Amino acid sequence: MSSAIVELNDVIKDYPLGKLTVHAVRGVSIRIEKGEFTAIAGPSGSGKTTILNLIGCVDVPTSGKVSVAGSLTNDLGDRALTALRLHKLGFIFQSFNLIGVLNVFQNVEFPLLLQGGMSKGERAKRVDRIVEEVGLTAHVKHRPNELSGGQRQRVAIARALVTNPAIILADEPTANIDSATGHSIIELMKQINDEQKTTFIFSTHDQKVMEQARRIILLKDGVVVDDNAQNGDGQASGAAGEKLSGTDEVEE
Amino acid sequence: MRVFLTIALRNLLLAWRRSAFLGVAIAAVTLLMVLLLSLSQGIRDNLIFAATALTTGHVNVSGFYKTAQGDASPIVTGAAEARAVVEKHLEGVDFIVDRQNGFGKVVSATSSLQSVFKGIDVSQDTRFLKAVQLAEEREYVKDGRAEVIGSAEDLAKPNSILLFASQAKRLEVQVGDALTLTTQTFRGMTNTAEVTVVAVAKDLGMISSFHVFMPPKTLLDIYQLKENTTGVIMVYLDDIDRANEARAELYKAFEDEGYSMMEYDPRPYFMKFEGVMGEDWRGQRIDITTWEDETSFMSWILTAVDTISFILIAVLTIIIAIGITNTMWIAVRERTRELGTVRAIGMSKRQVLLLFMLEALILGFASTVVGAAIGAGIATGITAAHIAVPIEAMQIILMSETVVLSVNLGHVISAVLVFTLVTALAAAWPAIRASRLQPVTAIHHID
Ligand SMILES: Nc1ncnc2c1ncn2[C@@H]1O[C@H](COP(=O)(O)OP(=O)(O)OP(=O)(O)O)[C@@H](O)[C@H]1O
Ligand SMILES: [Mg+2]
Repeated sequence: MSSAIVELNDVIKDYPLGKLTVHAVRGVSIRIEKGEFTAIAGPSGSGKTTILNLIGCVDVPTSGKVSVAGSLTNDLGDRALTALRLHKLGFIFQSFNLIGVLNVFQNVEFPLLLQGGMSKGERAKRVDRIVEEVGLTAHVKHRPNELSGGQRQRVAIARALVTNPAIILADEPTANIDSATGHSIIELMKQINDEQKTTFIFSTHDQKVMEQARRIILLKDGVVVDDNAQNGDGQASGAAGEKLSGTDEVEE
Repeated sequence: MRVFLTIALRNLLLAWRRSAFLGVAIAAVTLLMVLLLSLSQGIRDNLIFAATALTTGHVNVSGFYKTAQGDASPIVTGAAEARAVVEKHLEGVDFIVDRQNGFGKVVSATSSLQSVFKGIDVSQDTRFLKAVQLAEEREYVKDGRAEVIGSAEDLAKPNSILLFASQAKRLEVQVGDALTLTTQTFRGMTNTAEVTVVAVAKDLGMISSFHVFMPPKTLLDIYQLKENTTGVIMVYLDDIDRANEARAELYKAFEDEGYSMMEYDPRPYFMKFEGVMGEDWRGQRIDITTWEDETSFMSWILTAVDTISFILIAVLTIIIAIGITNTMWIAVRERTRELGTVRAIGMSKRQVLLLFMLEALILGFASTVVGAAIGAGIATGITAAHIAVPIEAMQIILMSETVVLSVNLGHVISAVLVFTLVTALAAAWPAIRASRLQPVTAIHHID
């Protein structure tokens, strides 16, 4: 039981929207074990981003319990949540979100500087190794605007990896890049997951991308409609995929 | 952290138009403040220079002698004895001179003016000779020569007089001409003396417009005073800032030596005359003042200059502060998504605040240093260029014939600090708001 690195219990998230209330997530329970490679899939507005935000400790649930890397986030204040994000989590964003005025090396080094306590030499070694891992050694001195989308997302992956986080969260990491590059980005994440056992949770509404995952949690209207881990087949299931493509056509 | 510095600096450079615009504005007010402070300091320096050369020591021992109510003589009897008290009791004295005081009319063939008469022993009073510059003849005579005529040392000759250029112009006299001095003696009779102009000095602001200088003997004769009588013992200290202490020490010394003292009154000596006339006591009393007391009637000039400067600077500061706040707001909005990102990856609220404040402080400090340096340079340049003040009334207020902007390191540093602080305060509100942004909303901000 306690081995779950992420655990959501009856999580509800409402957003006030003027006089209305948007029920973004309506009672979701998910357990994710250490080292899993999970896709959260579902049509637009199904609550993928909301759930990743809750796991990523940038948001707190309206009710229900969210526990991440052993901490119950409901009880934590801003300071503790910030520390949790800094030390346990890595983030990859849809639109890369690199710091524009810093070069590749500096962007990747940044979380280490926030953490502190590492010598300049140690940091350089770590950053160089990770930049090499994502295949950007030739570009360390470049600024983000000198890179392609795929390259930028690799920088983002390197930045998320550099602190050796327990969990890496990626909200639609391939949405802003072409599908071939997107495929290779997910493959890179998968390879890191294999080698380092880092837990990956990413969201997507792209059928092909989803199929690269080992586990797919399918959302619709803020509830889990399918989870192949619970189905027990351990592979991206056709059932989940079909359900998604079905709703996709309705929604889009 | 160095990376914050890098980010702050590069963001300033990235938004270089905005930074340059704000930087120039901040530099400009700093520059203006340095100029205005230098102007005020220049007037103060000129005032101290003129006053201590012409009318006051750093500390002055003077007094009144009364024989009846309704009468008072501005004299110190027993001049040598009084001077001995000063020499015995006061330390840190550069030198001591004494001068006679008087008041009356200077009459020429065509005109006349009221003036304070000062009896001065030029063999003793070398400071006066150093401070007073003689004017070229053309400065006070139409079609006069471009050379200095006469000599201040000639005040050693009996019945000589030194005037200032504006007085010579009004009286329409030049060196060698005769003048008549008329005065009420302290016993109520009218006395006159014939004197010859031996030198005409350049004006030294307001003070020089109502002072004329002559040998002590001329004044003693007009007033029919005994030899051992003086008007004021002027004491110059090694350190002018010690003037107030020295005044207190001298007061006590004279009291201890058995002199009758006037109550300390921080007004110039000549303003006390009327009050003393009406008082009911007899004999000699001693009055001790500092240079600040003697020039206090002119302090309104400095107050006025300082007040106008303050209002001007305050208004500009408010405008600049609003500009800084607005600009920082724009910067925060432009970088909201970046802020959300760095907050998500573990930057604390305090660090976000620091990042923005750093940006404002770098811009503020760099701009104020540049502004202050240029201001100091301009002030020094203007002073060195000896730019003439065209209007006589302005000359009197500025206490000088040329524009003197006296740069003081303390003022330059305080201008830098004040405007760096203003920048920081103006940036504080947007920076605090930036640090309080919710990471969730910030990440999804669409720019
Ligand atoms: N801050 C917010 N305020 C109000 N409503 C919100 C807010 N964030 C999300 N929602 C609503 O909550 C629901 C779930 O949104 P969420 O962004 O989690 O969906 P998603 O699955 O990520 O969609 P997409 O594929 O379009 O990114 C949507 O109806 C959305 O409009
Ligand atoms: Mg989303």
